[in-house]
Amino acid sequence: MINPLRFSAAGVALAYGIISLLVLALFAAPLWYSWSTAIDGGRVERLDGDAARLSAVARAHGIPALVAVIDASVDGTEHTISRVLLLADAAGRPLAGNLAAWPDIAPARGPQLHTLNVHGRAIRVAYVSSALPDGYRLLVGNNVERFEKLERIFQYGLLGCSITLLVISVAGGLLMRHALLSRIGRIEQTTSAIVQGNLSSRLPTPLGNDELDALTRTVNRMLEQIEQLVQGVREVSNAIAHDLRTPLAALRYRLEEVVLTQPPLERTYAEIDAAILDVDEVLAIFNALLRLAEIDSGARRAGFTAIDVADVAAEVVEYYLPLAELKGITLDYAGPARLPAQGDRLMVAQAVGNLIDNALKYATGRGTINVSTAMHGAGVAISVADNGPGIPEDQLDKVVQRFYRVDPSRVMPGAGLGLSQVEAVARLHGGTLKLASNHPGLRATLFLHTVPEER
Amino acid sequence: MKLLLVEDNEKVANFVLKGLAEAGHTVDHADNGRDGMFLAAGEPYDAIILDRMLPGGVEGLAIVDALRKTGNRTPILIVSALGDVDERIRGLRAGGDDYLVKPFAFGELLARLDALLRRAQPGTIQTTLALDDLRMDLLSRKVTRGGKQLDLQPREFKLLEYLLRHANQVVTRTMLLENVWDFHFDPQTNVIDVHVSKLRQKIDGGQVKPLLRTVRNAGYMLRSDD
Repeated sequence: MINPLRFSAAGVALAYGIISLLVLALFAAPLWYSWSTAIDGGRVERLDGDAARLSAVARAHGIPALVAVIDASVDGTEHTISRVLLLADAAGRPLAGNLAAWPDIAPARGPQLHTLNVHGRAIRVAYVSSALPDGYRLLVGNNVERFEKLERIFQYGLLGCSITLLVISVAGGLLMRHALLSRIGRIEQTTSAIVQGNLSSRLPTPLGNDELDALTRTVNRMLEQIEQLVQGVREVSNAIAHDLRTPLAALRYRLEEVVLTQPPLERTYAEIDAAILDVDEVLAIFNALLRLAEIDSGARRAGFTAIDVADVAAEVVEYYLPLAELKGITLDYAGPARLPAQGDRLMVAQAVGNLIDNALKYATGRGTINVSTAMHGAGVAISVADNGPGIPEDQLDKVVQRFYRVDPSRVMPGAGLGLSQVEAVARLHGGTLKLASNHPGLRATLFLHTVPEER
Repeated sequence: MKLLLVEDNEKVANFVLKGLAEAGHTVDHADNGRDGMFLAAGEPYDAIILDRMLPGGVEGLAIVDALRKTGNRTPILIVSALGDVDERIRGLRAGGDDYLVKPFAFGELLARLDALLRRAQPGTIQTTLALDDLRMDLLSRKVTRGGKQLDLQPREFKLLEYLLRHANQVVTRTMLLENVWDFHFDPQTNVIDVHVSKLRQKIDGGQVKPLLRTVRNAGYMLRSDD
């Protein structure tokens, strides 16, 4: 389908005008044809009828009777000449009628249309001629000036119609162009403002529902997304600066101290070992960030396969079980035997792992962690619920942010990227991560759409 | 063992060369792709350690591809800063035998290299694995130590099987994570240590001669003293 919005506004106006004219021509042509054939046909019929009647008079009562009839018909007193009659003998001499002489034209079939001189006046006449016995000839005609006037009126009417249509379509096209351009102009103004750096600008919210309004709304949604992403990048750079600076600073102090104090070899090696651990911590943050970027890029969706979410969750629970036992925390899993879905096994495993990891990290004393999976609408839900300290209600949204930690002193280990990773995995699978209070504790539910293409 | 290292970064190359020499290997070094290709195709090596992004117009994966196409089955350990799952898959599909992401701990490189060298030796299909008085029957899935049957969970069985197959070799935590759990990512908390210590309790608990050792800065090793 050709989208009319793809033309420029001026093109639209021009095309509109041309199409209207074309439509008018297509509409008028058959009308004109039927009108003229109807008139011609009627005319021939009448003239032929008259000629036949007059010929009958001549045959029945002789030429003198016909002369009398003709003379009675055209007495020359009528104000407007409507009929033209002429009876001529074999030599072409006029015997009766209102025509001075037999017209000097080649005989032809059908009605002739000529300008003839009748009583000194040149008028347009349509006529037929017929031959009578003994070489007499009869001409029967009609003044068609009346019809020609009508015809001209029709033509003028058609011309008027065309001009009106042209004017209207050009004006309409121009108006359309203007309306389009002014709306596009508004879009352009806003986008220029955005290019200048004002990312919070939005296109005026449209009330209508046409293609341009739909486009406007899409552009607004896109701007929303861009602003969020830019905001995210800004937050991440701040957070990286903070989270990487801490271990890097520690590393630097450690190495500097070794150089300054020159401790015995034994201690030096111990310090170097500790330094390697510091570097590993920095690398872990880097890896988590790269992993997040990898998930965010959406490229992993190409690697989606049929997975069993129940199996993946059970596997991850089993992986963490010894750690939970060690900490005196009850970790259990409940779910159906099979929960087929389309997804990336590693991503889902890592997401569930992060949730359990968090629950274990913040659990105190004899905690319990319940992991469960279930069908949820068109997808699956994996939930990890604990009875630990939980997250204050007002911070539930913020924890998903990269590097955000409820713990303001940031003393707990971990880079604060865990939940962001889970959220990114959910998004990759066309789903969401919902955090809610478990009264007490935290209930994190990961919704995954089994068919993410249908997002 | 005779090894080939194809690595353009001088620091990394020197570090690896020194480490491998200390581990008793003879190592040839190429610092660009063309020389690497030339050496790999011309000399018989026991294994090749190959960087992916190389100068000299021949990319790492191109070398792998060329070697495999000429029927050269030398084990190849790809070492690269390209660490995405997709990149790893690409490296393994090209014919690499293992993939290690930079930066790496030398212990990790050595352990993976040993596993590759061991794998290259044609082995017969085993139905039992044994080390000292520890025996594993792969068919009946029974494990005994000194004739006494041990009660292992399925995952513990898999973990012990992997350790037994790589007995007297260092096995890193990442190798266990990838091969026993099939988790190709770093979980935030390393739970491998807890799994291994549970397994250690079962096989070494109350025994005079411990078999499962922790190797500092590297991983684990199952070995008997002699």
